[in-house]
Amino acid sequence: MKLASKNIIFDSVKNIRTHGKYNGSIIVMCKNEHIILTDSLNFVDNIIEIGKGLIIGFETMISNKREAFSLSSNFKFDLNNDALDYCVQIPEDLIEKFDNERFSNEFPYTINLLHSAGLLLNENQLRINHLDFFKGEILKNPIALIHNGICIADRVVIDESSNPIFYGTLIIGRNKKDKLSVSYESIVNVMDKLIKYIIIIGIETIK
Amino acid sequence: MLLWENTKLKFLKLFKIKINPFNNFVATGEIKEELDFVNSRKHFMDSISKFIDENQNFILPIIGDIGVGKTHLFWALKKKLKEKYNIIYISLENIYRKFFYNLYSEFIEELGIDNIRKITQKLCNKWRGLEKKYGFFPIPNIEKAKSNAYSEWKDEFDSPSALNDIINVIISHQLDPYKRIDAEDYLLGELMNIRELSMLDVENDLRNRNNAFTMLKVLIENSKLGTIIFIDDFDKLISLMKEEEEIETFFDSSWLYGSEESSDNIVAKNILDKIAKLQHIKNLKKIITLNSKISLIEIKKIFRQENLDLLNHLKEPMFLSDFQEDDIYGFYQSTIQKFLESIDSKKTLANLKNSYYPMNENTLKKIYHRSKGNPRDIIKKLIREFNEIIYHDKFIND
Repeated sequence: MKLASKNIIFDSVKNIRTHGKYNGSIIVMCKNEHIILTDSLNFVDNIIEIGKGLIIGFETMISNKREAFSLSSNFKFDLNNDALDYCVQIPEDLIEKFDNERFSNEFPYTINLLHSAGLLLNENQLRINHLDFFKGEILKNPIALIHNGICIADRVVIDESSNPIFYGTLIIGRNKKDKLSVSYESIVNVMDKLIKYIIIIGIETIK
Repeated sequence: MLLWENTKLKFLKLFKIKINPFNNFVATGEIKEELDFVNSRKHFMDSISKFIDENQNFILPIIGDIGVGKTHLFWALKKKLKEKYNIIYISLENIYRKFFYNLYSEFIEELGIDNIRKITQKLCNKWRGLEKKYGFFPIPNIEKAKSNAYSEWKDEFDSPSALNDIINVIISHQLDPYKRIDAEDYLLGELMNIRELSMLDVENDLRNRNNAFTMLKVLIENSKLGTIIFIDDFDKLISLMKEEEEIETFFDSSWLYGSEESSDNIVAKNILDKIAKLQHIKNLKKIITLNSKISLIEIKKIFRQENLDLLNHLKEPMFLSDFQEDDIYGFYQSTIQKFLESIDSKKTLANLKNSYYPMNENTLKKIYHRSKGNPRDIIKKLIREFNEIIYHDKFIND
């Protein structure tokens, strides 16, 4: 679904800047491949301010080792610094669908991780792959960065071929013409080679 | 494998396994009736559905003789209006004790657990029971939901303790995973023990009439579909009211208990009070069936004496009449067709000249006139005719 212009807060490629105060489900894609999720954002004079957001991504703790992290914090971005790729507000009807299709956190056969952890990282030198370990399991709250977009899913199941299958997924990304779009899919099958990373958000983080 | 060249013989052999296609001459609220209304009643069905759609909180009397098909009307309405209404059948005979609890049980059976879950989810969303952390992750806020629910509903319900119980159950069902199973049992009308009640933080289960009424009101008013209560044999109320005058007894209970009213009279008044209470439920429509115009006059009289509000909501009656002559042919054919479908032989009669085989037009006409068009009488006579064929090899010429 092509995003309405009111839902695109900032797009560095198409140079869209829609100033204002936003509430709802907002996602910010940083150029360093970090993702920020938030429910409120203020965009004034080329400054994006986020009162309370959750940033997730991979960081280097010690050399040659990458660790997934998620951190709750407030953020301020000056767009002149070129740190952000895009920033969109998800339309309410899609969020409603996303919420309605959610499994309960207490569904007996799902695995909730206490703290955020990396399930998969495809980087040239530093690879993480725990898919085999979780084969056949249902993991709650995965976020994946794929070639051209982000998958925020309710759960991910690792199939017998060790490929992740995302259930109840919001997909935010760019189409061939680099236009931002968002869609909801009940099931998304992705080859693990196409995925840059998958992080499972820990329930302690979102308590 | 048997190859039947004679289809008539084949058809008769099917009956020889002692199945009579006309085996049911009394419709009940429990056993589903598959047959549609006959042609002459289609107009009646259309006007009743139009009336239901256009009116709110009414009591609509349907008047028809015994055996005319008033209970069958319930099944026909259920079939026709299933996309728009939950229709519950109640007979005063069965539910005069624990009225609201029994009514609730019937309603739940009709509504189904999936719809209950949708309703509790909708209510908890409305009460902002789920807050969104970072815009994407729902986190339950039970106390906030309870307080929003209570302030929204406190003026709408008479019993604060019942309201408190119902809110606790609905919120536990959606937002508290550790209480969800108990809450669902409660919603399904299960009887709860003290441990389960205290786990849910409620005082009473739905055997308590205030709790049953409150829950009924909540679910009906928040159901996606409208709700119709079909109260069959409403005349029972008249007989309960009159029992005292009509029955001659050797023992007068007032000698011992000093009461001037008979127990039946008290029961009848209780039922009336409860039906009057149902008037407080929005989106609830009521249909009552009566045997005659005289019954309606009596009911009006009782309403006038006991509860004027009920009288104000009582609409002009609709009359369900007997079969017209053409109806018996259609009714006969569709019953036989259903019978053949049920034994996987629906093409058996396809090539017969006499489409009423093993009856014929003349016999059906006679049956119609002998039973004066009363559907129950017609079915009884058809049962008799088919029993003759099955058990005594009676053969009717084409």
